[in-house]
Amino acid sequence: MAERSIAAIYFAILGIITTAFGIADILVTMGAGSFAFGILEIPGDLFRGGWGGFIVLSAGLFYLSGIRNFEDIHQFSKIVMGSILIWIMAGCDIFAMITESIPGGEDGTWFNTFNGFIGTYAPPYAPAVLLLPFSLVVVYYIYKRK
Amino acid sequence: MKLTIDQRWDIIDKIAKQTVTFGEYKHTLKDAIGELTIKPLTGVPIAIAVMYAFWSIFGSFAGTLFTDGFMVKLFDGYFLPWMQDIFPGAGGWLYYIIVGDPLADNCFEAFGMLTSGLFVAIGVVLPAIFIFYLMLALLEDMGYMPRLAVLIDTVLHKIGLHGYAIVPTILSLGCNVPGVTATRILETRKQRFIMMTLLAIFIPCGAQIGIMEEVIPDTMGWVLLYLIIGYFIFGYILNKIVPGKSPEFLIDVPPYRKPMLSNLTKKVWGRIAGFFKVAIPFVLLGCGIVNVLYLAGFIDWVGNVLSPVFVLWFGVPEATAGPLIAAFLRKDLAVAQLSVIEMTPYQMISAVVLVSIYFPCVATFAMMIKEGAKELLGALAVLFAVVFLYGGLIHLIGILMGVA
Repeated sequence: MAERSIAAIYFAILGIITTAFGIADILVTMGAGSFAFGILEIPGDLFRGGWGGFIVLSAGLFYLSGIRNFEDIHQFSKIVMGSILIWIMAGCDIFAMITESIPGGEDGTWFNTFNGFIGTYAPPYAPAVLLLPFSLVVVYYIYKRK
Repeated sequence: MKLTIDQRWDIIDKIAKQTVTFGEYKHTLKDAIGELTIKPLTGVPIAIAVMYAFWSIFGSFAGTLFTDGFMVKLFDGYFLPWMQDIFPGAGGWLYYIIVGDPLADNCFEAFGMLTSGLFVAIGVVLPAIFIFYLMLALLEDMGYMPRLAVLIDTVLHKIGLHGYAIVPTILSLGCNVPGVTATRILETRKQRFIMMTLLAIFIPCGAQIGIMEEVIPDTMGWVLLYLIIGYFIFGYILNKIVPGKSPEFLIDVPPYRKPMLSNLTKKVWGRIAGFFKVAIPFVLLGCGIVNVLYLAGFIDWVGNVLSPVFVLWFGVPEATAGPLIAAFLRKDLAVAQLSVIEMTPYQMISAVVLVSIYFPCVATFAMMIKEGAKELLGALAVLFAVVFLYGGLIHLIGILMGVA
């Protein structure tokens, strides 16, 4: 019972933060500029900020709508879907970093230098990448249900 | 031996007892997620996320990694200078057709059969087609496509189609040729006609999308938005004016499954092989024919004749006449040609939309003839009306927004 409550509280907090990030993404895009603070960077382009922001917002709403009666499989599936949306967004961002890190620059070299390669993975990161580790908690609950 | 009805039911009962397990079925997590992807309220955000992933991976893999990362360096840095060095008769007509502009320093501007032609086919389109078909095969084999068909069924009914029309539509985003063939899954002539016409006009192929990603990455979203809006507006009108029926459809939605590597390989290879057979010869030949038409002065002549329409009605420069002629042979080449013409961003958006809607490429044209001459003539009549009306409307929107 206590563990169930902890899980519900955890996903409620995650849902609120994710929803806030989604709204921030959309607002920054509407303001036509990007925003950076520490390790966080909110992209301002229509594709990642606007379209992507809508997906992060949807993920947050999935979390929030799934926390009530958490034990029910249909409710739990909404929590899982919230995490899947975060994985999609973060996966795309990480894949984009990988594809940027491999080729060399415009100077004509075929492959990137070691420093350039590592540098591509340095912060700041988009909200979905920051949310990724927290969204993985759902995997524990999936295995627990099995 | 003849059995009575009761005896038959007895046998059925015996078989059922041996083979059927009765009990309460408990929904699994997979079932619950499957339901979420079909219900509109939850399914639409998921579909939007899937499409986001599709285009994000497409752009990163084909654009950033392969074309910009390696192919541009290979073709512009090594292949083009090598061809310019070894091919004899610089400045001659044969040189112009095969290698293109002797002073060009990149393959987009050279426009020779073996320079721009090969660069577009191998350097830009091949990686784009590969990743497109790989992701499409993944979605098909996971079982997401039937869910997308169910989800979009209501919307597609508004334009006289049903959920299954998503299959030819998405296939056409790879190449219009298999897309046109796939219209056969639609039941009535009306549905097939609407689908074929919309594909030929509003769905850009993977080759064209790959080039757009490369030459107009910032404004590509607007081009696609105009095409999607046109797809639904003209689909709605066609549904109202084309006689015939648009029946409902029943579909068995399979459970989500883990895709099998062997199936994925077969599907992707089959489709890529089709691209090698159909598209690569057309790209090279198309490039050659366009060069011959330029040399013969035909394209300049057409440009002069049609310049009032281009400049006054569509709001694009006179020089876009050439790429529009080339678009009949290859739309990807036409977009590449447009990229070197001086234009405002809005004129570029209008010109690329015009290239997309103006005429199906010759390979699609050939496939449409196969599907029926009457349908083809009808589609062409619609097409000319659409180009004129929609091209003018886009210009008008630009004027009203103060950007044209």
